[in-house]
Amino acid sequence: MQPLKIVITGSYSAGKTQFIRTISDIETVSTDYAVTLDEERELKRETTVALDFGTIAINDKLNLYLFGTPGQERFDFMWEHLALGALGYVVLVDSCRPGHFAETQRLMARFIEITDAPFVVAANKQDDPSALPVSYVRRRLGIPLEIPVLPCVATERLSVKTVLLSLLRHIASRYQEDSGEGGAESVED
Amino acid sequence: MALDGTLRDMSLSDLFQVFRMGPKTGILLLTSDEQRGIIYVAAGQLIDAAIMASEDRSILASHDEAVILMLLWDDARFTFRPTQSVLDRPLRMKHDSEWLVMESLRRRDDPTQVISYHTITLDTQLQLSPLPSSAESGVSLDVNQWRILSQVSSAPDLRTICEATGIDPTQAIRTVAELLAVGLVEIVPPKLQTSKVHVHEETLLHHGRAMLGSGLSAEQGGHAAGRVLLDAIMRRVRGL
Repeated sequence: MQPLKIVITGSYSAGKTQFIRTISDIETVSTDYAVTLDEERELKRETTVALDFGTIAINDKLNLYLFGTPGQERFDFMWEHLALGALGYVVLVDSCRPGHFAETQRLMARFIEITDAPFVVAANKQDDPSALPVSYVRRRLGIPLEIPVLPCVATERLSVKTVLLSLLRHIASRYQEDSGEGGAESVED
Repeated sequence: MALDGTLRDMSLSDLFQVFRMGPKTGILLLTSDEQRGIIYVAAGQLIDAAIMASEDRSILASHDEAVILMLLWDDARFTFRPTQSVLDRPLRMKHDSEWLVMESLRRRDDPTQVISYHTITLDTQLQLSPLPSSAESGVSLDVNQWRILSQVSSAPDLRTICEATGIDPTQAIRTVAELLAVGLVEIVPPKLQTSKVHVHEETLLHHGRAMLGSGLSAEQGGHAAGRVLLDAIMRRVRGL
């Protein structure tokens, strides 16, 4: 049986490792290696090549696992394995780097092929005064209105909580529709 | 941190729309092969601009003309650095950004190249932009722009607009590119097939039943176990 897991994905340097580190109960397990490509080294010195891994204990027997995917497309063979059985996923996007939007669109298209799990988009680095507004991020990525696009600051716990709760509400809403039950009163808001 | 990229990632007209939406205050620096541009933005409004030669830093154009020329650049690196010091600078521009964008479009052979990351076809669905336009904007639309704009809220796609207005499709695509660049219309994102989105029920039920343990009622053996589990996860995340 698959563990209870949520996948955190996004393009290179979107803030996935930080997102998990901010909310995880445990010291996150990262498999970062020195960046080899010059253009990538301009953005950060180390990158995740396998996965990031954090947990949130639901009770003394059950954990929710957070898996961060490697951002670079050349490691996309990992995505399918990580997405298998996931409750849902968060697509992180850097609000200060429009040059990453095309890559994020390709990543979202690939994830929609891989998994039919619900997802939300989180526009990271919204604490930067130069950050692009969430409405612009939605428009440029072509995100339909039924998919939540949320402001995010991956270094702030409250912001990460808000994104996760939005995803969980989205999952609960889809789950109710799948089970043919109307109304949202049975699932906590 | 700063907002940075290339004009192929994000057009100058899009940047101007974002500055208005913020509204943002700061300095936009552009670097092409042989020229450098600088635009001062105060509370979303362009207040001053210049183009310099990279080699000797001589001024090649200034104020409105500098912005119009930069709008004709198809590729350059840009960096926007927020700084409140711009608020102390005097206003030296005669026109607002919408007017400047429209003027630059008039000087272009092919306006569809302005926003290279949007593909406009006859199947493109349009909507009126919710972006606030400058109240004092001096932009004036031509007849074709008005005719297309008047149809956007009622027509399902550009093909229908062409049929309703009699505007030639090639001309209509050019005109839509102009309206997009000036921020009056947007392309409607494709509708997601929500029927294809499903929760991985097997995992949810397995862990939900495990959590409820032996006290499982008949009703909780079904979807209720999944709902109880989702409630528990949400409570836990909320409490973090």
